[in-house]
Parts: sequence; C-alpha cells; structure tokens
Amino acid sequence: MIGHDVDRVDGRIKVTGAAPYAADTKIPGVTYGYLVTSTVGRGQITGMDTAAALASPGVLAVYTPFNPLKLFAYVQEQNDERLPPLQDKEIRFFGQAIGFVVAETWEQARDAAGLITTTYQQQPPITEFPGRTLQKFDEVEEVVGAQTLGDITFTASYTTPFQHHCAMEPHATVATWNNDHLTVYTVSQGALLVQRRLSETLGVDPVKIHVLSPHVGGGFGGKWGNWAQVPLACAASRALGRPVKAVLTREQVFAMAGHRPMTRQTISMTCTADGKLTSIVNDGVTSRGLGGNWSESVANWTLTTYASPNIRVTKTIMPLNLGAATVMRAPGEANGSFALESAMDELAEQLGIDPVEMRLRNYATLVPNTGKPWSSKHLDECYRRGAEEFGWSRRAKQVRATVDGDWLVGTGMATATYGASRGQASIKVRLYPNGTASVSGTAADLGTGQYTVFAILAADELGIPVARVRPELGDSTSPAAANAGGSNSTCTNGPAVQVAARSVQTELITLAVTNPRSPFHGKDPASIVYRDGSVSSGGLTMSFGTLLTTCDVGGVEAIGTSPRLVDPEHGYRSFGAHFCEVRVHRLTGEPRVTRWLSVCDAGTIVNTKAARSQIQGAVVMGIGQALLEATEVDASARFTNANLASYLVPVHADVPRIDVRFLDHPDPLVSGLGAKGIGELGIVGVAGAIANAVHHATGVRVRDLPITLDKLLG
Amino acid sequence: MRAFDFATASTVSDALKLARPGSAFLAGGTTLVDLMKLDVMTPDRVIDVNALPLKGIKLRDGALHIGAMERMGDVAAHPVVTSVHPMISRALLLSASGQLRNMASIGGNLMQRTRCDYFRDVTSACNKRLPGSGCPALTGINRGHAILGTSDSCVATHASDVAVAFVALEAQVVLRSSDGDRTVPLEDFYRLPGSTPERENVLGPGELITEVVVPTLSWARHSTYLKIRDRQSYEFALTSVAAAISLKRGVVQDVRLAAGGVGTKPWRLRAVEEALKGGVAMERTFSDAVESAVDGARPLAHNAFKPSLLKRSIVRALLDAAGVR
Amino acid sequence: MTTSRRQFFGQAAAVSAGVALSAPAAEALANGAAPDAPGLVEVAFKVNGERQKLSLDPRVTLLDALRERLGLVGTKKGCDRGQCGACTVHVDDRRVLSCLTLTATLQGKEVTTIEGIAHGDELHPVQRAFIDHDGFQCGFCTSGQIMSAVKVVEEREVRTDDQIREAMSGNICRCGAYPNILEAIKQAKES
Repeated sequence: MIGHDVDRVDGRIKVTGAAPYAADTKIPGVTYGYLVTSTVGRGQITGMDTAAALASPGVLAVYTPFNPLKLFAYVQEQNDERLPPLQDKEIRFFGQAIGFVVAETWEQARDAAGLITTTYQQQPPITEFPGRTLQKFDEVEEVVGAQTLGDITFTASYTTPFQHHCAMEPHATVATWNNDHLTVYTVSQGALLVQRRLSETLGVDPVKIHVLSPHVGGGFGGKWGNWAQVPLACAASRALGRPVKAVLTREQVFAMAGHRPMTRQTISMTCTADGKLTSIVNDGVTSRGLGGNWSESVANWTLTTYASPNIRVTKTIMPLNLGAATVMRAPGEANGSFALESAMDELAEQLGIDPVEMRLRNYATLVPNTGKPWSSKHLDECYRRGAEEFGWSRRAKQVRATVDGDWLVGTGMATATYGASRGQASIKVRLYPNGTASVSGTAADLGTGQYTVFAILAADELGIPVARVRPELGDSTSPAAANAGGSNSTCTNGPAVQVAARSVQTELITLAVTNPRSPFHGKDPASIVYRDGSVSSGGLTMSFGTLLTTCDVGGVEAIGTSPRLVDPEHGYRSFGAHFCEVRVHRLTGEPRVTRWLSVCDAGTIVNTKAARSQIQGAVVMGIGQALLEATEVDASARFTNANLASYLVPVHADVPRIDVRFLDHPDPLVSGLGAKGIGELGIVGVAGAIANAVHHATGVRVRDLPITLDKLLG
Repeated sequence: MRAFDFATASTVSDALKLARPGSAFLAGGTTLVDLMKLDVMTPDRVIDVNALPLKGIKLRDGALHIGAMERMGDVAAHPVVTSVHPMISRALLLSASGQLRNMASIGGNLMQRTRCDYFRDVTSACNKRLPGSGCPALTGINRGHAILGTSDSCVATHASDVAVAFVALEAQVVLRSSDGDRTVPLEDFYRLPGSTPERENVLGPGELITEVVVPTLSWARHSTYLKIRDRQSYEFALTSVAAAISLKRGVVQDVRLAAGGVGTKPWRLRAVEEALKGGVAMERTFSDAVESAVDGARPLAHNAFKPSLLKRSIVRALLDAAGVR
Repeated sequence: MTTSRRQFFGQAAAVSAGVALSAPAAEALANGAAPDAPGLVEVAFKVNGERQKLSLDPRVTLLDALRERLGLVGTKKGCDRGQCGACTVHVDDRRVLSCLTLTATLQGKEVTTIEGIAHGDELHPVQRAFIDHDGFQCGFCTSGQIMSAVKVVEEREVRTDDQIREAMSGNICRCGAYPNILEAIKQAKES
C-alpha cells in the first residue's frame, strides 16, 4: 500500500461540501463577532466612542482597550502576536485588533463595527526597509572565517518583498462554553497549539479546553499561530454566555494574521577557475513586524547547500510597524534559495560552466557547515534524472538565443532542499467489532493528505483495506501528535501510527487469550498470530471484528509513541531539483512559465498521489513568489493591496503542466518508515529556477522579486 | 454594510421614480455589493433593476444595439457581436471571470468604479470618495495607476475593458431620465477627474443607461483587444489596447485605437491613428507612430514603465490586428 | 486625529451609485421621501429543488443566507469580495458568485449549491473526477471549483487545455491543485 497512488480518504466529503471547517460549525444561538482594527500604524489610542455601535440593532457587546475582555499575557512563542488583543492601548501596526463587536447577526456586527470612532495620539510608523538598523547582526553563524581564497569573485544582492499566505479559508473561530468548559472550533495547524495558547491567556486549565479543527482550509504557516480572533471569540463567549463566531475578513487576514517578511541577501562567493567554491558569505536582512517577535533566518540555507571550506551567514533584523511576520511555507529557505540559486547561476555563467555541472562540482557530500555525513542524499541523482527527462542537454548555451514567434524562450534549474527531522508523537489505534479501525492523534490535515497517510499506514500495518480505517485528526483530546508544520507531519506521525497499529495487535491478542468468550481463551499469547486483520492459532482464524463481537467488547485500543529522533552524528534533509521553461514576450515583457519538472528525494513517499499534488502545489506557490506576489506597504504602514484582486496569487491560467518524480530511496536513519518531509521542499528553489530561466530567455537578470514585466522591458 | 431599504423596479419609469438622493440602482451587484460591504458606497435605498426590460442585442440602422441589462457573458457570446464586433467579445472575455461575467450587466460595467486600493479602503483619504480629503496614491503605492488624464486630485485608473473597445468603436450610450432619452458618445460620457474626481461621468440626476449603440464598421473585423497584466487572467489591465485596422495592399487605410489601464478614462489614441494612416503595415511603421500615445503622460513613482509598456502594447496589438509580422 | 472606518474617510454616500445608476447631483431628486425604516424583505426561491421562504435583512448575501440561515455550509466564504470564486453557485443554471448576490434579488430563482449536484449517493461526474485526479488539497475552494467546473464541462466552446484554464481562472486554489483540476475537467468532459 505504501508508495502507491491512493485517493484521499476525505475526498468524498470534500467534493460534496460536507467536510466541516471551523466557520461551518452550527451552534444554536450563535452570535457573531467582528473585529475593529486600528486605522493608524503607530501610536496610542486616546479614546474610543462606542455609543453608536452599542445602540446599533442587535449589538450585544463592544469590547475595547477601555472595556476589555481580560486576557493574560502570552507565554509560549507561537510565531504570532506578542500580546493578546485589547489589553493595552499601544498601536504597533495598522490593522491591529482594537475592538470586538458581538451582535446577533453578522450583518449587524459588521455595521456596528463601522460606527466606532477612535482617537489616536499618532507617531510616524517605521516602514522603511532596509532603513534604520535597530538590531545589527544579532545572529552570526560561520564555519570558518570567510576569506577570499579563489581566483574568481562574485557579489550580488537579492531582495524579496512581503508576501502573504492567502490560504483560501480566512481565520475563523467558534467558541462555546458549558459551565467552565470551553469547546472551540477553530483554524489551526495543531489543536494543541490552540489549547496551550488559550489556557495561558484565558487562565483555564487545558483539560477544560476542547479544541476541534478537523479540516483546515490551507495554512502554509499562517495558521500555526493563534491570531486575535481566537482569544476574542473565546473570551467574549465566556463573558456573554453565548456561543460566538468570529471570522476575519480577507483584509484583516492580510493585516493581522502574519506575513512572510521582506528580505535582502548580499551574497559574495569566491571560487577557483574550474568553479569550485572557496568561500560563500551571505549577509541576510529580514524585517520583523512589531506586532510579533519572529523574523526569518534568510541566509541560513547557504549553510547547508553547497560544499565550501568557508561559509559565513549573518542575520540583521529590521523591526517595522507591521503585524507579526511569521512562518510561511519554507520560511527562510524559499527566499534563501532564490538568492543562492540565482547567484550560482550567475557564477556559472561567468565561468562558462553549465548550471547543473556547477552544482555537481560543488556537491556537498557532507553537511557543509558541520562536516557530518547525511542520513541519505541522492540529490545528484535528482540533477541527472531531471536533466535527462527535461532535455537539459539541448539547452542553448547563450542567453536570448531561443525564440518561438514573439516569445523569448529560456530554461532554468535550481536545487531544492529542506530540513528533515522526527519529533515525538503519540497515536491511538482502536479496533471495532464491525471490522473497522480508527487512528487518532492531534495532527492536522491542511490539505496535505495527512488523513490519508494515517489511513494508509494503519491499514498497511493492520493488513486491512484503507477504506476500513477511519483517521481522526484535529482534536485536542487525542494523543499528542505532530502539528502540521516544518514538513514534519508524516516523518513524525507516520512511525507513531505504525507503532500504535502494532501495539493494538498485542492488545487484541491479549484480549483473545484472556476473554472467556474468546475461542482463543487460555492459549499462550505467543501461539497467536495477527495477520491481515485476523488472529490465528492452530487451525482457527478469526477476524478482529468477529473476535470483538464474540467477546462482546466495544473494541480494543492502544496508544503508540514514537520518540523524538536524537542523532547528533548526521544531517537530515530532503532534496530535489527543479527544471523549468519560461517564455517572455519580446514586446511587452510578461513572463509565463510553460513547462516544469521537479525530481524529489524525500525518502519513502507514503501516498504518491497526494505527495505529487503537494509538490505541484508548492511549485505553484513558488511561481507566485517568483512572478506575482508582493504585498506593498506605504508610509501609513498599511498593506495597500490587502485583497485577492490586488495581491496576485497564481490562477489556473498561470500554471502549466507540472511533472513530479520521486526517487525511491527510503532514508535509513530517519525512521523505520524512511519518510522525510515534502510539504515545503517543493517551493524551495522555484523562484531561483524561474529567475534563471528568465535570464536565459532574455539576458536580463532580475534580483528583486517578483519578476514582473516592468523589470523585463529593457 | 449599512442598512438600506430594498425596492424592486419592473419598468424603467418605476426605477426612475424610486430613485432619490442617496439611492443606488442594483444590477449585477459586482461593483455595488462589493463596495457596500467596504462602506465605500452607502446607499440608503437599493433599487433592484434586474427585471427592467433593457435587454436585446441586435443590428439596427447600421449599428449594434446592446441593452444595458444584457450580461457581459451573454454579450460576449452573442453571434451578432462576435461577427460584427469581435473586439467587443474579446474585451469582455478578458474581463473578470466567468462567474462575474454572468452577473455583471453592460450598463453596470460602464459604471464600474476604479480599482484604486485607496479608493476602496475607507480608512484612507481619497478625493474621489470623499472630496477634499487628499490623494494618497500620488505619493503612495501607484503601480497600477493612470498616467494619462490624471490630475493633482486623482490618478485612479478607469477599470473597464469593454469601455475601451467601445470608445475605439465610437459607441454611444443612451441615457434615460424623466425628461426622456439622450444619446452621448461614450468617450464624452466619462469625465476627466480634474479637481472633481467624484464626478466620473455626465449622467444627470435620475438618469439611467438604457442601451449601448455601436456603429458597425465593416473593416473592424480586423481587430483585437490586447490586455497586458501580471497574471495571465482574472486581473485588471496594466495596459490594454483596442485596435482595428483597415489595410489595402499592405497600407493602412484606416485605424481605430484606444487604450485601457493607463487613463483615468478609456483613452482614444487619435494622434497615433493619424500617424499610422498611409503607412505600410509593418512593425517599424507602428513603432514610429506610437510615440504620440504618451503625449502628456504623467508617470508616477511606481508606474514609470507604463509609457513604454503602452507603446509596446500598441505595436503588438497593431501587429495582431493587421496580421503582419 | 479621529478616525472611524466610516465617519472620517467613509461616506461617499451614494454619490455615484452602483450600476446603471443615478447621478452625483442628487439634489435634483431632493423631493424624494425620507428613508423608510429599513425592514426585512420576504424572498421565496428554490435551493437544490426545495422551496425556501426567508424573511431577512436585505443586506444578507446569498452566501450568508445559505450558510447562516439555511445551514448549507458547503459553499465557502474565501474573500467575500468576488475575488476568489470559492462561493460559486448556480442561479438559474448559471455559475455566479453568491458573495456578491443579495438574497433579496432572488425572488423566484433557482439556486443550486455543491450539496445539490450529486444524485443521492452517486456523485456528479465532476465530483468523481476531482477525487480521481486529486483535484483539491485543503478542500476549501473545492465547492466553488466544482460548481464552476460543472458549467465549464457543459461549455462546448471550451475545449483545449488553455481554454479550460482560462475558463476556470475565476476560481483560485492556493494549494495549487490547478493541474489536477484541469485533468479532472478533461475526464468529465470526455464522459
């Protein structure tokens, strides 16, 4: 079963509209919360007139910093806001939550929110990037002091704009209390992240907080943190004694629910005449939104990608009056790879070396910054197979040399790598008298296919069809499994599913020999064999469903825990190579991606069908990163294009056929399953590959994303 | 969205009677409902005009007549439109999305508001939305803004595609009020912003667009509508060009050109048309002729590429329309 | 400085209202009556073949009526601005955006949602094709993609891959399932 194409087990409910997302929760008597947000970028609130809103039809309550819902300070860092909403009057960013209106209907709440008048003591917001350096070089990592040892030197700076996750589902939370127990239906990349945060800020024992997040309409990092609607809905519901539903508007999602920071990387490389790197320095600068703490270690990808005796990266943080910057698909790597993969292409051209060959000459057989061996690495095979399938050898040696009608045609390639790790996870598997099994953990499926991974691995271990396994995700009462982030779900949860599915077989055998109704009663457990959903001993075979029915028990279950991988001796990463073709119109300059091939080395692939889709989707997001996406900030510190018409994500017409290949090399060290991660791998290198192809097509090197037509008009 | 009272009109005269200060007519709703949610438009009465008998697409007296309540998608697909003025069909099909084209009426399309993000954000100043409050786009983010027909009060780009085609084809709009009908060339229907950007057109009090009339032009089948944008689809134009050209033995006899995405209203390019006439239809001729397209252009910090892009777009559109390379 | 979302910079009033609208110079209509007290409107229409009669605030969009009044939550609110396509439904057999449709305008209309296209347990061929080709990941845009695709499948003039891509471009999928959605639509067109 593992390693084949399996339809998603949640497919039917998703194509019929039956999959429940947070905002779909139906609770009788629900009220509607609407957030009021700041209209300045920095300053102090001096007053809020809420009289008109309070008098507006249907309004139940208006909460502001002058009439707040009590929320305790956040303790755990979750890459989101530093401070809970409404507890202070400082404005840190435009669009900060400063009020919460609750009304009987959504229309009434929205209308009343617009009636609130706020007075500010304004200060000029900090929006300039790179601008003032408030924290200079606060992180430096180096292998050896970087020196220029080579014959050839190359230096260039690469910049990337603010970007937004734009998951199709806006952030939504529905809260309801039963005495002192809270049930909260919410968007989340991990139910335990919500439980922990709410426990801190509401002052409630986590066991009294039940978080349900069974289906999540995309996350990409933007639903790792808990944004203002989560505590507000829960606290307001407690205060009012009514269920409260709060959904951010799309504009509010842009302003307050995290963004990918703006970055600049200045790369200096030296190499020998035959292209062997002798030093790499990457000075990275990242913005940090003053609404939060997080910033991007944008240069760090340079530490682990190519062999070089000297590598040095630095990080400078630029705090700006913006909402929290947060993790967004391959944080650091997506931007970091754009710079280094562009620079490698530039250096290769300078030397007259083919870009694939350039990468092979600097192949890191050991982890460059530690000198340790890899757990497994087949990146060279990705390059070679990709080059062959793509037809790389037919690539014109010169730039701007291939023309098809009015279109300049170019090809480019880039390396993808993303860290792999295995955390601790616990999973429960339960067998039922009707012959089915459930497998549950607090994990989340944001569209990743985690439900199906659970079902496949449990079915495989139990020897029953996938259709007889019911995965249960997104419930805080389940055993603690990996949150959906860091490409960590399958490599962490997968082994735990296997452990649990084996453990439950032991429990079943114990039942078989101890339950007086069992035909195996009294036998030596060692004489009982579990295979393909049945237990056997001697000549007798009985399916677990029949056994449970015969024994008249509701089921047997086991919780399996897979420990955190601690291996200081190896480096763990997934790898891949992207190849693409781009066309640029000779007159009007618009770049269009027309062909794509990604070859991935990510260990065992549990479900090739969903895995392929996930890589394709990451490439699509990378196409957006490369060609379309940029959130603009003006002097007022607002994201001016905070909507899906002005912030451009790719649409159908932007996306060509995307071919994805997986190498079949299980990682021998990451786990018995051998699966690394793929959620983020696919976007790493995409923007670099496209920038390289644009350069090949046009001769124009764009070092500032996105690569829009105005940069190609010449 | 503010509370409003809702009324339905089944005849034009009903609609005109229901209209009053602060009311708004609702057709497809793709502009009005959107902007009401944003509090950009705050009518206290909404008059549903979807049932008005302003339908029909037909050729009559040498002109194509399109009822104001015809939906964009229906107009685009109509055989008379595709055969007489394929440019109109093409402009419509490059607009919005299939769903929006099924909703939005032709009259409504001509009345759509600018996509300027400052106009759409009521926490921002905007002379068009609140006269005298200022124009943050002048010094703010203005990549999508206009370079032609702008003023110190407003640089908002006119958003319609089909209006550009209509202006190239010298379409007229029929306006009805309680005083009766009048006909206005679409090009003159739109006003330049000047110091009153809140006044976008010449519609009088209580007037309603009832019909668009497009003269037939036998050679206008050799036409195109070119739309240049960052995204391949579902985006407003950075530049667009409506071009129709008449050639005789490779020499330009007549030509019509209008541009979108660059003006505060659909921008007819008469000087370029004149420069093209009598020239040999080839890229060099076209490139030489387009210089005047950007006469008077006032680029801003982020749209300084638009004059160049506009000229290149015109050349490309002419090559397409003329079918030459 | 004092701002509210509406009072400071808002209130363009309806100086040049919506579609086919009356003029800025509203004073000429000054003899109009004072606004009536905003009241509820009665709307009778069909949803997935069932008659519905609602008495509602005229501000309620079809999207919100489906989700909050009728319990049909399969139709999703992705942007509420007509910019994403997640809310696509059929009204009188045409695909439209329910977020920009005021329910009050639907008197006598027939609405079909994602809940209404399968025949009992038998999925619509487009639904089946989306599963076969993995035409979704998170599933949030999927209802809208499918409602759009059902109509694109019917459109005979939409034939090539590029034509399908263009016809579907009003439905954004941030998970990037586009290549698979294309394959699903091609399968449904063939069947």
